[in-house]
Amino acid sequence: MDNLKNFKKIDSEKITMLVLCIVFLLFPLIASAYDVLNMSYFFSMVFLSMSLWLIWGLTGIFSFGQTAFFGVGAYAYAMISMNFNNNTMTIVALVGALVIAWILALLLGYFMFYGGVNDVFVGLITLCVTLVMATFLAQSAGSQWKIGSVLLGGDNGINNIPPLSIEIGSIQFSLVGTYQYYFIILVLIGFYLFLRKMQHGKMGYSFVAIRENRERSQLLGYNISLLQTLSFSFGGVLAAFSGVLYVTWGGYISPSAMGISAAALPVVLVAAAGRNNLSGVMIFTVLYYFLSQKLSVSGSEYALVILGFILIMVILIVPKGIVVTIFNALDRLFSSRRRRDANDTASDTKQAGTY
Amino acid sequence: MDSFSFLILSAIGLAIIFGMMGVINLAHGEFIMLGAYITTLSCLAGVPIPIAIILGSIGVGIFGFIVDKLIIRHLYGRPQDSVVATWGISLIMGQGMLILMGPSLQGPSTPLGSFSVGGINYSLYRLILTIIACLLVVLLYWVFMHTKFGLRSRATMQNEEIARSLGTNTSQMYTLTFVVGSMFAGLTGGLFSFTMTIGPTFGTGFLMESFVTVIVGGANPLIGTVMSGGTLGIVHSALSYIFGTFIGRVGLLVAAIIFIRLWPTGFSGLLEKKILRVKKTNG
Amino acid sequence: MLMTQQAILSRQELTDASDALIELSQVTRDFGGLRAVDHVDLTIRRGELRGLIGPNGAGKSTVFKLIMGIHSLTSGKILFNGTDISEMPTWQRARLGIGIKMQIPCVYGELTGYENMRIAAQNYMKNNEIKGEIERIVELIGIEHLLLQEVNNLSHGQQQWLEIAMTLLSNPDLLLLDEPVAGMGPEETAFTAEIIKRLNENGFSIIFIDHDMEFVRQISKKVTVLHQGATFAEGNINEIESNKEVIEIYLGSDSSEGT
Repeated sequence: MDNLKNFKKIDSEKITMLVLCIVFLLFPLIASAYDVLNMSYFFSMVFLSMSLWLIWGLTGIFSFGQTAFFGVGAYAYAMISMNFNNNTMTIVALVGALVIAWILALLLGYFMFYGGVNDVFVGLITLCVTLVMATFLAQSAGSQWKIGSVLLGGDNGINNIPPLSIEIGSIQFSLVGTYQYYFIILVLIGFYLFLRKMQHGKMGYSFVAIRENRERSQLLGYNISLLQTLSFSFGGVLAAFSGVLYVTWGGYISPSAMGISAAALPVVLVAAAGRNNLSGVMIFTVLYYFLSQKLSVSGSEYALVILGFILIMVILIVPKGIVVTIFNALDRLFSSRRRRDANDTASDTKQAGTY
Repeated sequence: MDSFSFLILSAIGLAIIFGMMGVINLAHGEFIMLGAYITTLSCLAGVPIPIAIILGSIGVGIFGFIVDKLIIRHLYGRPQDSVVATWGISLIMGQGMLILMGPSLQGPSTPLGSFSVGGINYSLYRLILTIIACLLVVLLYWVFMHTKFGLRSRATMQNEEIARSLGTNTSQMYTLTFVVGSMFAGLTGGLFSFTMTIGPTFGTGFLMESFVTVIVGGANPLIGTVMSGGTLGIVHSALSYIFGTFIGRVGLLVAAIIFIRLWPTGFSGLLEKKILRVKKTNG
Repeated sequence: MLMTQQAILSRQELTDASDALIELSQVTRDFGGLRAVDHVDLTIRRGELRGLIGPNGAGKSTVFKLIMGIHSLTSGKILFNGTDISEMPTWQRARLGIGIKMQIPCVYGELTGYENMRIAAQNYMKNNEIKGEIERIVELIGIEHLLLQEVNNLSHGQQQWLEIAMTLLSNPDLLLLDEPVAGMGPEETAFTAEIIKRLNENGFSIIFIDHDMEFVRQISKKVTVLHQGATFAEGNINEIESNKEVIEIYLGSDSSEGT
């Protein structure tokens, strides 16, 4: 009932997402194979931002550790799939990688949240965990560092990781090129709708409650340690999925994907987009990767300088997040009555007003 | 001893800024890098080494002042936004230096030679680094405890609103803090510029260690950093000595994780609690 | 049939024998070297409306926080409905049926009134009951106009109302109200007194803290006086008010604002 009303209300955010959805579903028909390939990469990275939106934007857990789970997913997939060395087993590798990441995230979450660690300290612990992993993998160069028959490869990482492949009856095909693109975008749309629905349901409000005021939430009967651990572990799975997609796309992973710079990037992207708004986070992530690639392909050495400059401008001029600010401006432009607050909850408020 | 001075020196600038302003400066490594460049270039231009190091420190201090006036000033009290902005600054500085100066710079080698005690060679310069680290700690202690600046900054740290209502210009305090923090970063860069290859990524070698030290230290830049630098330094060098550098590095991080889990407010919080308890019992 | 009746009967007997809703025995809490609560015994019967008074720093708010588990006990024991809750985490105590309005409003400031109410309600009812239940409570207290606003924009008094309303949504057996009329004008205070009495008549057991003796007299017959963390006196409001020692600790202490 709540959700029906929600979907009926039209605003610039929903229109934008619908248009983008249609455009990108048709994208392979109009774009070159090269562009489709790049888009697959950008969308893979959106899952990473999504995971941070869930735990930081929605639940208020400030984590630097999403790239750690990204790396766990990537390395675990590489290990499993390359040890089996059989294309039909790549699905098993995908599931295995997600399960491993989920268990690790549960353990880390349990360790932190049941110990009462919160706020910036979660960010600091997760940063340390990420760096431990990066440090460990970076020195794993020798032949003694291997799992099964696959070398970890140290700083050079792992190459020739097989793509996902699916077997339906006797037909077997690898998810590469356009197939991979559609796989990624369909899963992405699925997760987007799922998360949006969750956000306006009981679970979503429980997470928001924890973000806004932990003491009050406890007093209202919320088991915040459990909910934080849940959110964190689910975020870990999303990040790991991003990692799996990344290695199946490029066939390559190295520890630099988990270094301190890589670890900070999702935080920067989510903050700059406006961390409370999932659509904004997704759009900005794609934009960022698109821009950074365009700038580096064009050979300009000023690419990173320009990116840095953009980030500073965003935070100084539109501290609520650039995409959220644009959505708000559009809504105001088209309707003077409509108002969206930073918590993305105007819809519920209006329902309250209708009785 | 070596890793103690390294941890203290790399963390102190970051710790001052984090502890007093709550700003997480992701560009800390680049600030150190800038200090190293200024020092090395001055040296190559014929400036004596001690003066070159001081020039590096002052140069980064000035740079910090500009950055504060242009950007950080708008982000006081917004730690999460400051992460984004300082990340942007670090991108610009790293890539900007690459464009200006190329991928690496050949600096002068470690000065002062070495001496040996009981058959083990020690670099004299590294000994001096340790002494400087200790001197800095003493200097910082003196500044905090015996100057007007120290008093005001402690007041600001404890409660910004009250400090402001008592007439402290907190905005000015923050600018000063950022400049001082930057100067320490520059000094660190200058001091270590003789021991490593200089390049745009020079600072990243410091970033992890400095963050971990600050994390374990907690909000108080003086007590926290010294204690955590000391403890982590011991853990790191002991483990490195017995098991090699890799285990040393991982051990450092694991020690940090366990520490925060047990005492989330770091060494500063731990000590403050103790002091508070003693005071209350007496009262 | 017979069995059930017997079961009901025996249950009746049990509650008759000990109809205590909450029982604090020898509850003590130290902060560092400071003893904030000192061997307090406090028993509230089902359906009781009890005032908790005492000079500043007497440990009244701390007692509430000990009941909720915000602070842990240094020693002693708390029984709620016959269950030992001394070691239970806060959220479980809330689920068992203890609700609290804190001294300083503790609400979700960045959210709207409606969202606050929804978050308060959803642990205790089905999704389709939430709206009706919120409507009912809001009408009872008369805060319909607060639902659409962001809570940070509400006055201190309005935030207190909202917090009480949120607490009621969980339909608690025991309601703890820490200074329910702080910062309210005389009219609002009278209204609040009316509401608290009505809630009590509807079966809510209530403990409240207040400084305003006038207000305490309006709604409560029985009060407990805390002084320096310990139970100082307990009894009928008239007795207490004429107790010389109680008057002394009130006058003797620095009766300035806040606790």
